[in-house]
Amino acid sequence: MRYNREIGFVGFFLALYVLYFSLIETGPAKFFTAPNAQKLFYFHVPSGLITYLAFLMVVGGSAVYLYNKSDYADQLAKSSAELGIVFGFMSLASGTFWMKAEWGGDIVDRFLTDMRLASTLAMWLLYIAYFVYRRQPESLAVKKNAAILGLSGMIMVPLSYLSSRFLRSHHPVIVATEDQGSLDPSLRVGLYAGLLSLLLIYVFLFQMRMKLEGFERNLLKNKMEEV
Amino acid sequence: MRFFSIIIVFLLLATSVSAECRDKDCMPNERFVTEADKNGGSIIVSDFEIYYDNVFEIGTTWFVIFEYSSSHSNGSLEFNFGKNLMKNLTLQYDGDIATDSVSFSGTSFTNEEPHKKLFVNFSSEKLSWSVELDIFVNKPPAEDMIYLWGGMTVFWLGIGGYVVYLSNKFRELGDKSGLGNGDRKKN
Repeated sequence: MRYNREIGFVGFFLALYVLYFSLIETGPAKFFTAPNAQKLFYFHVPSGLITYLAFLMVVGGSAVYLYNKSDYADQLAKSSAELGIVFGFMSLASGTFWMKAEWGGDIVDRFLTDMRLASTLAMWLLYIAYFVYRRQPESLAVKKNAAILGLSGMIMVPLSYLSSRFLRSHHPVIVATEDQGSLDPSLRVGLYAGLLSLLLIYVFLFQMRMKLEGFERNLLKNKMEEV
Repeated sequence: MRFFSIIIVFLLLATSVSAECRDKDCMPNERFVTEADKNGGSIIVSDFEIYYDNVFEIGTTWFVIFEYSSSHSNGSLEFNFGKNLMKNLTLQYDGDIATDSVSFSGTSFTNEEPHKKLFVNFSSEKLSWSVELDIFVNKPPAEDMIYLWGGMTVFWLGIGGYVVYLSNKFRELGDKSGLGNGDRKKN
């Protein structure tokens, strides 16, 4: 993709702006038990949303691969899964730090009893399994099995996203609820800027990963031809 | 993967490990069940005493200890905070004054709630009574700067670590394809 490096730079500098905005421009948050840890909100929510996007791309890529054996779709699913793991890790780990400060209590207990946390961790572990499975030499069978595994996100992503609405969970729900309108405008600016910055970084990293995957496959193809 | 493992181990070790006192002597509040609490039954209410801490600290397991005598044998006891947060047990009398306890997880609440009512209800064939305890659900102030920096570090380590991983992979592939640094300059 043209301008990929520029996209990465813009995303990076926008993330620095969000840091400045959240840590310096806006003071400690009101109405929170942990007013400083609340600043994690500006990256925690965007990284969670991008994790869903990445895993949905795995689902899409896997479905297309199973339909027409498109190598590009397989490449897309594999690259996106890796990025989903990275962003999912960021979301889960930052959420854990924030939860520890805001809610207190035992982390393991929270992960076992809160359905949002449990289902998101399960979704992440599922794609860890996908990632590990794909570390073996590529073959048609491996690609097909990985695509079937990748498709399970079709259940896991909506389950994780909707769990805080319909299942037992303390996790707040903001997007597409009445609370969205009550979100303070200063929070909204930071949230959208954080979302845009991580989205641009995601696009940049995704393009790099796709390029790397393309190199790897070409190298393998050339070696096979030489043999 | 090694990086993820280290962070996960760190987070697991960061969980709160504290020793809660489960002895009635540690409990600052006590409540005798009296005749006035009786709802029904023909015998006199006697010998039921509840020991508790009227401050429920979020994050710490909260215990209620109680002592009872033979008049309460084979009865059903319920501790009820409302909203499905309750504990039920059947009392087993063993011939002398018995001591028992129930606990509520420190994660039962997430927000402060002054004057939270805990309803203690007992019922058996001979007797039933209800007691209301006034509990303050308290959230200790967070020392949250460390969590802020921990959480922020995760983002930069996540993105930075992945960029380093990609860069190493590119270099590795360059070497494999014969386009190492030296060759690349020539080309």
